[in-house]
Amino acid sequence: MLLLRTFASAMTPMVLISIFMAVWPLEDTLALQLPSVTISALKERVPADKVASSMSAISFQSIERSSTYRPNALSSVVPGLHIPDYGASLTSTIYLRGLGSRMENPVMGLYLDGIPVIDKNAYDFDWEGINRAVMLRGPQGTLYGRNAMGGVLSLSTFSPCDDYRPTVRIEYGTANTVRAGLSFTAGKNALSATFRHTDGYFKNAFKDEPCDPYDGLALRWKRVDCSRERLSVTNILSVNVSQEGGFAYGLWQDGTQYPVSYNDESGYKRLSVIEGYKLHHCADAIKTYATVSLQFLADDMMMDQDYTEQSIFTLEQKQLSGTGTIELTVCRADEDALWQPQTGVFSFLRRNRLTAPVTFKRDGIEKLILANANGHIPGDIGRLAISDNEIPVNSDFMIDTWNIALFHESVLNLDWWVLTAGIRVDYEVGAMDYDCMARLHYRFEPVMNRDKELTVPYEGVIRHNHMEVLPKISALFKASKAVSLYSTVSKGYRAGGFNTQIFSDILQNQTMNATMADLGVYLDKPFVSVTARNTEYDPETAWNMELGMRLSHGSFSAGISAYRMDVRNQQLTVFPPGMSTGRMMTNAGHSRSMGVETEFDWISDRLRSHLSWSWCDARFVSFNDGNNDYSGNRLPYVPEHTLYLNIGYSFRLGNNTLDTDASLRGEGPFCWNESGTQREPFRLKANARVALVLKDWELFVRADNLTDKTGRSFYFKSVGNEFFASVKPRIIMTGITIKL
Amino acid sequence: MKKTVFIIAALAAVLVSCEKNDKADTPIQPKQGEYVGVVTVTYQGANYDNNDINVDFAPNEKGDSASVTIHQIRFVPQMPVTIDITIPGIALNSTDDKIALKCDSVIPQAMGGEVPRYKVTGLKGEIVDDELWFSLNFGSFPTSFRGARLKK
Repeated sequence: MLLLRTFASAMTPMVLISIFMAVWPLEDTLALQLPSVTISALKERVPADKVASSMSAISFQSIERSSTYRPNALSSVVPGLHIPDYGASLTSTIYLRGLGSRMENPVMGLYLDGIPVIDKNAYDFDWEGINRAVMLRGPQGTLYGRNAMGGVLSLSTFSPCDDYRPTVRIEYGTANTVRAGLSFTAGKNALSATFRHTDGYFKNAFKDEPCDPYDGLALRWKRVDCSRERLSVTNILSVNVSQEGGFAYGLWQDGTQYPVSYNDESGYKRLSVIEGYKLHHCADAIKTYATVSLQFLADDMMMDQDYTEQSIFTLEQKQLSGTGTIELTVCRADEDALWQPQTGVFSFLRRNRLTAPVTFKRDGIEKLILANANGHIPGDIGRLAISDNEIPVNSDFMIDTWNIALFHESVLNLDWWVLTAGIRVDYEVGAMDYDCMARLHYRFEPVMNRDKELTVPYEGVIRHNHMEVLPKISALFKASKAVSLYSTVSKGYRAGGFNTQIFSDILQNQTMNATMADLGVYLDKPFVSVTARNTEYDPETAWNMELGMRLSHGSFSAGISAYRMDVRNQQLTVFPPGMSTGRMMTNAGHSRSMGVETEFDWISDRLRSHLSWSWCDARFVSFNDGNNDYSGNRLPYVPEHTLYLNIGYSFRLGNNTLDTDASLRGEGPFCWNESGTQREPFRLKANARVALVLKDWELFVRADNLTDKTGRSFYFKSVGNEFFASVKPRIIMTGITIKL
Repeated sequence: MKKTVFIIAALAAVLVSCEKNDKADTPIQPKQGEYVGVVTVTYQGANYDNNDINVDFAPNEKGDSASVTIHQIRFVPQMPVTIDITIPGIALNSTDDKIALKCDSVIPQAMGGEVPRYKVTGLKGEIVDDELWFSLNFGSFPTSFRGARLKK
């Protein structure tokens, strides 16, 4: 009922507009074209206005005006999308329609010029020369497969075929932030490069220095060869390299938020390379699309994992992964035919060597290991002592993933109706080879009079495989040239995997039990943690039912959709109880989310306005973690509302223009944990931009979080402590863009 | 012919007779083994049984001494841990039908070293066929074990 009421409320203005347009002279309506209809989605073989799915399209101009140069800037601009800005570039946490989690597989597929980006650690990169961002919302499993259960974001860079002027941009502002970019086309090539530096926006009080500096360089090269009559070949190369600090997390204790203050080294380095080929061959009867890519990612994350001034424990996580993808699709060459089928096969193979050594330092040895162990041992028997200042727990993983999928989608393109049905069979095999070892020197006092070395190995292999069948059926009714209604039922899934971050907990407990066994002392309540077998988690699946409406009238366009998703095996990041050092993904029973998403655009000669709003009610249907029953509670981290309102006006100054834009961006309220005891209210941030636009160049000043509003952008627990990441402070940038 | 058969039969009888005599005169060679049984600890006048306790019997090469390791013993019910405890230097005396165990006093080993508080006194016991029993005092805890050899 709540969904219906909200949908009805949101529909009222849409219905009024529709009635208004129904009485509007038809000739005028026909003369108007919705900007989005010229935008094609990625794999859909019909124009975007015939796609029965919620869709947000962000143009090059909007991207430039809103300084959207990272994926998280799309938060709230795309209704329902929430990508919190915290941590470092590898923490690409994405929430959409009540789906999402802070680690492991994302709920959104990302495509760069048609190449699927497989590794989530490569999602967050600096944009330059991006021509268009299209977001398909809702499960897109049939065409896009794994991890597209919340939606798909497709980024297209400028093509050498575009009428594009070479552009140079440089801007400078708060925290010595410099951002410079260059993009141009030459012959069959389009190239772009961007560099960004910042000293950082948060200070580490312990070290008295900024904790989140960033230096990053992104290069992109696109070559399009259309010289042959029936064949076009596109080569895409994307290279991103960055080095940054990060993890600006402050302790929350007894209702007080403490500043960021940690003692051990933290930071993140990454090199990501994506090389892809797209071939498009058009024969008389069929068209063939082939996409092949090789993806490489090497990164190194160092983290003071207790985030405090104490020397408790640190983590260094290095990843070296290589991925190969291939997709082959055939479809009918005649685009005007009534029946538009497409059939394809997709496969990828990924090998990821992950080393994640955790080092327990002296405070951690005392607090986490000895206090825990001696708490279990009667004092009159003795007490355990460890002489090491550091205990290394080495964890090496080799994780292989192989996925193969067959899919088919048929579109029946009738006069007033577009009917779509599709199915995909997705099979995935995963294997994790783990090789872990802890070494320490211990003494049992007063019985032992000297230290004894103990080595605790922990190794093995876990394998799993899953098959998912992902059907889709949809109908779109074209009520007029300007109004269309659609309904979709589809299924999506997020791949399962292995928890590697819980191995520090496993090894810690294994080491204590091994020490006790080595002593010949057996506790009635041994140190218990999950085992390697329990680190496997299953795919998450979601059925989506959706009703939507799109309309356009002249410079006005709007879209509204209402959905209900039923999520099984919801993947949720949990923190094991007590003084645990790890976190893990678990399948949290059953949840559901329902909501409404709307977008309104009105663009005239001088005035431009955009409104995105979403409401989402995402709750556990059944989730009991063994200690508490959270059924009925809100899913953590999912904003109940997202809002983005932008109004811009261009003043004419002779031959020049003064562009002014003001926007409000908001999300919330949030629950930070499953029990709902930690909450965040809805908050709005104001942004503004003023630009003096001349023929060949543009001077601009922009401000993010203009009113310097404070708030919290993320929450987590470590070693029993609670931490929050704060929203970034006011950032003012000024710069120049030159069109050559 | 009858004479020959008689001589063979007589020789066979003598040989069988000699074999029996030889066996009767040979002491049992102590063998390493694992026994499972019940350890009973007397605490404040009451007996406390530890069921299904594994005991390792490990003789030296000469067979005149052995160590006994009692696994996961709990001396009193309220003890929150169980421990492995090893009693070294137990004297063995093998005869043709049993092995006698004896130790007047020794400091046992547990938790990585010697544990004087559980000093062993008055240990005596026997291995007969596949059964082991012994009694002793662990400090102030009179303790006994009776169990059977674990057949693998």
